[in-house]
Amino acid sequence: MAFKRKETVIEAIDLNTITPEDGEKRITAGVKKYATNEANWSNADANTPYLGSIIGMGIESSNLADITMSIERQFLTKRTKRVPVSADGSEFKLEEGELGKLRILDGQDALAATPGLSIKMLMDLGHMPKNNAYLTKVVSFAYITTVGDGYKLSDALKKMVGKIEKLAGSERDEAVANLKAMTAQAKTYLDQLSDAAKLAASRQKTFAGDKAGYDSLSKELGVVTDKLKGLSASGDAAQIASLRAEEAEIRTRLKMSAAKLRVSEEVARQAGSRSAVEEAKVAEIKRILSETIAAAERC
Amino acid sequence: MLEKSDLAELRRQEFWSLLLAAPVYAFTVAVCRWRFGYRLEDLSAFRARLWEELGEFDGPLIWAANHLTLIDSFLIFWAVTPWSKIGRSKRIPWSTPEYRNYYHLGGWLQKRLIRALMYLCRCIPFLREGEDEASVRWRETVFQKCVQVLKEGGSVFVYPEAGRSRSGWLEPRRPKDFLGRLALEAPNAKFLCVYLRGEGQIATTVYPAQGERLRMTAELIPAVLPGETAARQISQRLFDKLGALQQDWFSRSALAKNCGGNDVVDLKSPLAREHFDEESREFDPEWTARHLTAAESKYLDAQPPAKRFSTFWKFFAAKEAAHKALAQSGIWTPTGGFWLLEADLFRRKVLHRPTGAQVSVAFTDEDEDKVHCIAVLRGGYIGDDDSPGDVLWGVEEVPQGRSPGEFARERCLEFIAKSSDDISSAATLAFTEEDGIPKVLRGGKTCDWGVSLSHSGRYAAYSFMAS
Repeated sequence: MAFKRKETVIEAIDLNTITPEDGEKRITAGVKKYATNEANWSNADANTPYLGSIIGMGIESSNLADITMSIERQFLTKRTKRVPVSADGSEFKLEEGELGKLRILDGQDALAATPGLSIKMLMDLGHMPKNNAYLTKVVSFAYITTVGDGYKLSDALKKMVGKIEKLAGSERDEAVANLKAMTAQAKTYLDQLSDAAKLAASRQKTFAGDKAGYDSLSKELGVVTDKLKGLSASGDAAQIASLRAEEAEIRTRLKMSAAKLRVSEEVARQAGSRSAVEEAKVAEIKRILSETIAAAERC
Repeated sequence: MLEKSDLAELRRQEFWSLLLAAPVYAFTVAVCRWRFGYRLEDLSAFRARLWEELGEFDGPLIWAANHLTLIDSFLIFWAVTPWSKIGRSKRIPWSTPEYRNYYHLGGWLQKRLIRALMYLCRCIPFLREGEDEASVRWRETVFQKCVQVLKEGGSVFVYPEAGRSRSGWLEPRRPKDFLGRLALEAPNAKFLCVYLRGEGQIATTVYPAQGERLRMTAELIPAVLPGETAARQISQRLFDKLGALQQDWFSRSALAKNCGGNDVVDLKSPLAREHFDEESREFDPEWTARHLTAAESKYLDAQPPAKRFSTFWKFFAAKEAAHKALAQSGIWTPTGGFWLLEADLFRRKVLHRPTGAQVSVAFTDEDEDKVHCIAVLRGGYIGDDDSPGDVLWGVEEVPQGRSPGEFARERCLEFIAKSSDDISSAATLAFTEEDGIPKVLRGGKTCDWGVSLSHSGRYAAYSFMAS
């Protein structure tokens, strides 16, 4: 039986006939029912994160897939022709074909943390024409997460300052020690933010970890391949079949590892340079956090 | 009992391995140092401390160590044995590598070279799988050879976990009996317990990463104590000792030891039912395909209709909780990367497919309203029917008008304070974040408690590790 969707019927629109700004508005409207922070959702722009409640729309992790599915439902694309990329046809890429339903494949939305980044994703995947003027207004994933961290730090510091004012004696002393540690952490964050190269270096660590994981898995595959080579003359059919299954599983894991590596590589690359809109976001969080640090140091 | 031919074979291997011990040792150390760039931290002091005890002991020795890579035996032998001790045949250990892992590697030449190296490294191939007569006899012969070596005052190297640890954590509460059995055959033996690991070793790999700096800790303990008669009793003591060495290793490490996570799902939230058809009791396949792997979907489809709704959310909660536990260890999963994690609800494990790291999960609060899952990668025990484990948690309804995130944080600190006699009040604790991971501060210092927070609909949940 075909599954009957319960939501309102949405008339999907060809991505090639709308402006990025129109697409962005439709995307934001589409996630309304998942947003738990109404104020942030109402004032959302291209750079408002879907997740998080301080500056984000407050969408919960259980509705992450709904963001992507909502985008898929609203738009049509010409990239609908499935071209197999694996021998068994289980994996495919989408190429130009008849106008049809938009399909976002596993992992393609990993960096689409805001409506603007969702539009960028659609442009990168060739579903809509590239619009550089629009993209200059979009903050990269690396800076969305970094700036988001700053707001969280500032929020935590403010709450701690408020808490300390009500405490006395040894409780206050311990809370002040915590506040000092948080202030030091905030200063380190500000220092890192002062230089794009420093931020890139810290993101590079994640990339290096992912790269080591990928290399390790490649070695694991090498060992299984060697075992298969060594066993091929033995005629042990059961063992060969078991190793073939293990080899296929490692190849699948290797593809996943490569996909994850591409994400961390992209984030490390993005962190190394700043556009004007990113500079503005960085300046804003630096100002806010500096004020909070000053208030904390008065405690 | 061993046949005469087995004994003769053992003697022959002992002779050749001793004769060529120096060049083989030089070769393996050279490969480790210069090909892989490994370094052993504080090596001289470690060996000096160890040989002070080991030098005085002449009896049989059972090496027991944690197991993370395929070359651990070489690394541990290098760490323990200085050049000056290479000629002491009784201190060169016999190992029991899995036959299928090592003896069919590569083409004609590579296979023979590896076999020759294994022979000279005193390896006795072991067959872990197979219940047929030949396999059982093979295992028994290997066991008898190990016993023979020990009875003659020699050394045997066995991994007590019987395989590489998929979580990267040696779990003392899951002992295996093999070493206990072996010890009972040679009661005058001693266990040489070794814990070796590098700061970059998060999960099981083939080799440590290039350039890894490895740090080790070791202790010599009696194999059998007076009054010990059961293999399990001995194995438990050995696992406890290795567990203590592991704690010691982590106490001097920059790595977070306690890596736990949790996740709660409000099953009555309207959004949770959005993709579920009440009549057919089926989820929208597009929705499930975005969250579940092929194996998970198969499991879900096999569930009776009445259980499908909660089963889907159990998969979801398990993956979310595991994702948080993995993040604490430095293993990052991209937002929405549900396809990178695979949960096995029957075995209560979640596999991080890109790295192979395995997380244990348990469902603590499960009723018609909610499902709550806790996860542990390392640092402690998740618990079972007999043991409550090392994770403490709470699930509560969020009062009307309160921010669920803030409520979870506040209640978590109160819960931690209430759970410890040392903490006077929740006011002395504070939440902060490091790389997006929640951490608790106490006295200005970050606590390694594997704390985790979650909220969904009407519920907020929190957990931390008391290990």
